[in-house]
Amino acid sequence: MIRRPLLGIVSRSLGKARFKIGLFISITVIILAVISPFIVPYPREGYGYVPPESSGRRLLPPSLQFLFGTDALGRDLFSRVIIGTRTAIIQVLTVISMSMLIGVIMGTCSAYFKGVTEAVLNYLTELFMSIPSILIALFLRLTMDQGIHVVIASLTVTWWSWYARISYVYAKSVVELDYVVLAKLSGLSPLKIIMRHVVRNLIQPMIVQAISDMGSVLLEASAINFMGLGLPPGSPEWGVILYEGITGLSIEVFTKAPWLIIIPGLFILVTTLGFSLVADPLREDLDPRLRRRWRLWF
Amino acid sequence: MPISLNYIIRRIVLSFLVVIGVIVFSYLLLMLTPGDPAVKWAGNPRGPGAAKAVELARRELGLNQPLYVQVAGFIYNVLTGNLGMSIAYKIPVNQVILSGFTSTLELLVFAYLLAVPVGVWLGVCSALRRGGRLDAFTQSFSIVLTSTPTFWLGAIILLILYSAFGLIPYGRVSSKLVLESGFEPVTGLYLLDSLITGNFQVFIDVLKRMIPPALAISIYPIGALARVTRTLVAEALLEDYIRAVVAWGVRRQTIIRQFVLRSAIPPLIQVSGLAFVYSLVDAMVVETLIYGREGLGSILLDALHKSDFRVAIALVVYLTIFYIAINTLVDILQATIDPRVRL
Repeated sequence: MIRRPLLGIVSRSLGKARFKIGLFISITVIILAVISPFIVPYPREGYGYVPPESSGRRLLPPSLQFLFGTDALGRDLFSRVIIGTRTAIIQVLTVISMSMLIGVIMGTCSAYFKGVTEAVLNYLTELFMSIPSILIALFLRLTMDQGIHVVIASLTVTWWSWYARISYVYAKSVVELDYVVLAKLSGLSPLKIIMRHVVRNLIQPMIVQAISDMGSVLLEASAINFMGLGLPPGSPEWGVILYEGITGLSIEVFTKAPWLIIIPGLFILVTTLGFSLVADPLREDLDPRLRRRWRLWF
Repeated sequence: MPISLNYIIRRIVLSFLVVIGVIVFSYLLLMLTPGDPAVKWAGNPRGPGAAKAVELARRELGLNQPLYVQVAGFIYNVLTGNLGMSIAYKIPVNQVILSGFTSTLELLVFAYLLAVPVGVWLGVCSALRRGGRLDAFTQSFSIVLTSTPTFWLGAIILLILYSAFGLIPYGRVSSKLVLESGFEPVTGLYLLDSLITGNFQVFIDVLKRMIPPALAISIYPIGALARVTRTLVAEALLEDYIRAVVAWGVRRQTIIRQFVLRSAIPPLIQVSGLAFVYSLVDAMVVETLIYGREGLGSILLDALHKSDFRVAIALVVYLTIFYIAINTLVDILQATIDPRVRL
């Protein structure tokens, strides 16, 4: 397998304007996620607290005091949306890192041990690939309280299978290489071989896949939250804010207060776009073998 | 041909095994999630009849038997299409799912009939002018399309329609019109039904209410197909056989249609198939909360609010079967068209 250094890919991609825009958006979002509770004017309202004086300022249009206007309960939309970046990043990073961990273990074990293990693990991968995560969320919601754990669990339960498939394909080509076979013959333990030779070859495609998945995880997470299956009302999450902006109000109201809908959606759109723009050139540069069976919600 | 038949049989057997796995998985979800499974199966009943309902559910699930007997019984029940009565609707679960499925499927197919030609056309245009300004624009545009949250776009379309034209395209069909014209659904696909019965007023109304959500749903496949088509066509244009037909002096139109696009069709089928099942969730979200249509989305929400586990399980099982069926169909179709996959 040809290994291309990741740094080389990044520096080559830096020549593209789209990549730079994407990098700028992504870094801004990540910085916002870290500092948002400290810079917004009404951090408590951002986390869903309805102050007593808010009844007089419901559905105010954007102004200098309330940059994005206020919502139906009089909370400052700017604070909610900006703190929403933190929720978004937490969801995305947890889902992806957990899925990657499970997926890489499953994929490499399946490629290394062959035989029955391979058949069973590939079967499980195929199985979880075909279950829509929103239905897992429904199931979890029927038995548990609302919360971020529902979103993260339901997405991880299905998402790991993509990482399993990709790491399986890569690991499969590595385990047949001479040096791995020699390591096996010399009596090195399977765990060491997997860690030292197989996983190391997976790092780069996994990172690229993780970056290109960030946008789709965000879209699915916000869809789950928008359906009311994830975080409780009042949470600083873009899907939840949209849900409150649409379902609580009649159409006459929400056309009069369009900022409630336009702004959180724009944040989802721009953040997803930023992640995709970063991922795109990286993926093009990587081994094109997987392009056919690549995850399709780019 | 024998190779192909072998492949098809293998593919179907594998899919069937996955379906069994999904059924087992959904049963385990019922067992392993917190709470008494019998109470869940009875729909968290309250009041005087509760104890009796739970007892009935316990017997229905066969909870006193060993686990493998329960699972086997459950698999048998699902495969024979017997998932009991819905708690929320008081009619058989299958009927509930079917009614929602036809509605959502109609919307989804309509959206894809719009999306596939547009997406492929955009991709071909982009690939033919590779490196040009149109190409750069189309590529950026398609990334934006695939990054847009569908439900948000649906809301924006509704916002524009209402504030500019005063239109509110809620629901699947105007109930007043249905009463006046005596429209009666036959298959549950309203567009088809109104055409069969020759009810053009209803047809127009159904169509009008379907276009806005379909537009919102179609953006994802348009973007995805445009990008995939661009890559495929650009790759095909570099092939030697294309250079050969160009050298023969074949007309440009013919080259694109006969040689370039033909080689792109099998992967395009696969991409459309995968995108189609992915869009099912999009459709469920858009149709319910924004356009107030009845469909799988409203069934999901009803199951949530009335804690109807039977419908939830049926949704998991049937939608996954739908997903697997589409994927299998796509793979088989691809294998019959494209000899390279038959190995």
